[in-house]
Amino acid sequence: MRDEGAREDKAMEKSDTLKFAGREFRSRLIVGTGKYPDHRSMQRAHEASGAEIVTVAVRRVNLDRTQESLLDYIDAKKYTLLPNTAGCYTAEEAIKTAILAREVGLSDMVKLEVIGDQRTLFPDNEELLKATKVLVKEGFVVLPYTNDDPVMAKKLEDAGAAAVMPLGAPIGSGLGIRNPYNIKIILEAARVPVIVDAGVGTASDATIAMELGCDGVLMNTGIACAKDPVAMAEAMRHAVIAGRLAYLAGRIPKKLYATASSPLEGMVEL
Amino acid sequence: MELMVNGKKLEVTDGATITALLEELNINPLRVAVQLNLEIIKRERYDKTTLRAGDKLEIITFMAGGSE
Repeated sequence: MRDEGAREDKAMEKSDTLKFAGREFRSRLIVGTGKYPDHRSMQRAHEASGAEIVTVAVRRVNLDRTQESLLDYIDAKKYTLLPNTAGCYTAEEAIKTAILAREVGLSDMVKLEVIGDQRTLFPDNEELLKATKVLVKEGFVVLPYTNDDPVMAKKLEDAGAAAVMPLGAPIGSGLGIRNPYNIKIILEAARVPVIVDAGVGTASDATIAMELGCDGVLMNTGIACAKDPVAMAEAMRHAVIAGRLAYLAGRIPKKLYATASSPLEGMVEL
Repeated sequence: MELMVNGKKLEVTDGATITALLEELNINPLRVAVQLNLEIIKRERYDKTTLRAGDKLEIITFMAGGSE
């Protein structure tokens, strides 16, 4: 057990933190707040995930005040809020939403989503790039959700995005990392953190993303809609740490034939 | 007087400020942003901004959501 703890510490030691826009995070897992059975289980899942960044949606206040406030269940001292522009279909909508979100005064970061298609929730990259440019100029820390497209990732980085967040698969699909080769190409060229956003269905998906060399993973549905969200959150915490450690450790090359790991010398004569 | 708040008609005392409106609605001003007739109002101006009949307000906050 002591060993396990020591290794966990290694993956999270100061030199190996998630850094962007002058901020530093020990956890490389970012989690959402949507779709949980209730606020209490969300709070416990957040705790179990070890995440330090939590995404939130920007919406009208409920005037009848019968629902509790989400913010009562997120300790502002422990978590960094990452407002998203979910539900926006144009650059203009996303920009306005981000500006309103910043006015709340709890975060100057934005998970920038500009959706292009309702069924797939794939991003509209043209509008996304437009919104990124405007919001960077306005002083936001912009984290755009994009396709697994290396050219687009580069354009977003050049536009001043603090990190790029390619999808692993469609939002909420749980299909995992559909194109690891594209993610690899994005990683090769990127000078900002690459955070896989969307598509993670289970722990191994998160590990694969991290083994590829991604700087982080963002997920919501995979945890919130699991049978036991708290247990899945813990699984994801371990998965991200395991993947990161494996990446840093350097995996062995894949070979077609066996290589014996026991010496051939000293074989018993039978 | 009647206002439009988050797309709903709302009756409030004449001459109410944004601060008074938020108080009446039991909303913590530190957790919202307010847009009045498409213009964002800074928090420092809430108690100086008097509302007029027919004003359209959007009061937003953070809600549960990950993506989409």
